[in-house]
Amino acid sequence: MTATIVEGRELLETVVASLVAGVGVTFIFSIAIWGFARFADLNRNERPLAAGAALAAAGLALACTAAAIVVGIIVMTKK
Amino acid sequence: MSSDVILWIVVGTALAFDFTNGFHDTANVVATSISTGAANPQVAIGIASLLNFAGAFISISVAATVANDVVSADVITPTIVFAGLIGAIAWNLITWSFGLPSSSSHALIGGVVGSAIAAAGFDAVIAEGLVGKVLIPAVIAPFLAFGVAGLSIGLIYRVVGRQRPGTVTRGFRYGQIASGGLLALAHGTNDAQKTMGVITLALIANGTLAAGADPPLWVIASSAAAIAAGTYSGGWKIIKTTGTRIIKMDAAQGFSSQGAGAAVILASTHFGFPLSTTHVINGGVMGAGAAKRFSAVRWGVAGNIVFAWLLTLPAAAAIGALAYGLTRVFGTGALGPVVVTLAGLTLIVAVFARRAERGAPVAASSG
Repeated sequence: MTATIVEGRELLETVVASLVAGVGVTFIFSIAIWGFARFADLNRNERPLAAGAALAAAGLALACTAAAIVVGIIVMTKK
Repeated sequence: MSSDVILWIVVGTALAFDFTNGFHDTANVVATSISTGAANPQVAIGIASLLNFAGAFISISVAATVANDVVSADVITPTIVFAGLIGAIAWNLITWSFGLPSSSSHALIGGVVGSAIAAAGFDAVIAEGLVGKVLIPAVIAPFLAFGVAGLSIGLIYRVVGRQRPGTVTRGFRYGQIASGGLLALAHGTNDAQKTMGVITLALIANGTLAAGADPPLWVIASSAAAIAAGTYSGGWKIIKTTGTRIIKMDAAQGFSSQGAGAAVILASTHFGFPLSTTHVINGGVMGAGAAKRFSAVRWGVAGNIVFAWLLTLPAAAAIGALAYGLTRVFGTGALGPVVVTLAGLTLIVAVFARRAERGAPVAASSG
């Protein structure tokens, strides 16, 4: 009875989904910001190889952020 | 014929409620983006309005909960739904005039539950749905948003803490355009669905739809349009007071609080939990603030939210029950709802006229 009233499984899934989506996307996006900031610094210091790597990391993180948001919205529309 | 008149009064009242929900919530959705300089007010409100509209179309789980899992459709009549809406609107106006941060969502559910109990007794309430799908998620969601935002901002500071502040701030301001958009989308999907659910419940009660039916497209589209119009028009008034309500935060905090709010609301909406979006947004803002400096958070606001949460459901339920009793004084036909609607409109016009005379700004409530 208690399990029925509390909707435990759905609540747990809500908590997990919120944590994964909220913290995960923020973390990946902050990697993108870090990459862009490092790119600017390394480029200024004339270290093109390292700057390129930082820019690639930033681009990849940005793409992952966008993909995560799109996947989230698609999941929303499926139910 | 009489029941059709009542039904259309219910539809009109529900859409008016939806409009006021958007009107009240504009500041909550766009305040963070504006305060950090991520977007100017006109752009932020325009985007929020459009995404509110779009959000209403991406899910119907919350509408299904409101229509089928809170009160028993077998005993509900359009008049009961009407009285519930009056209870919600009246409570919103009372709290708005006293500056209390009440929740439109809790008021709506409380009003419908109260009028249903007045009409058909406690058997009209589906306890499992009310407790499991409304009350418990309503308690958990703001704390969840607080935790998600706190964890997020902690991670952000660890990752970008040693980088140049200018680049980092600019980056998170761009990020806020996306996180603010997601928050507006989430707000639209959860809040507009409550109106859809109430209209669907009235259509089921009237026999227009079968029990358990999904909201028809015209209900979804009109609810989306009402909340989007409310968000757009509300912004111009409420923006005047926004500057005094918001917590001063940096772009990274704004991004994490909006991201946390959007994640919690979207995840909850997916499972059909009707939340107070304002409580969730405030939870995210406080989490992002507390993680940086505990004393930066206006804990008095948190206390007000808890107080309003405790008070809103029973108060709206009591007014909903009273509204049902008042409606029934005029019989079971359309006369009761017509008289109560006219009396309500007169009261609202009087309240606005009095405020306009005093020159008071339009305060922001919540949803």
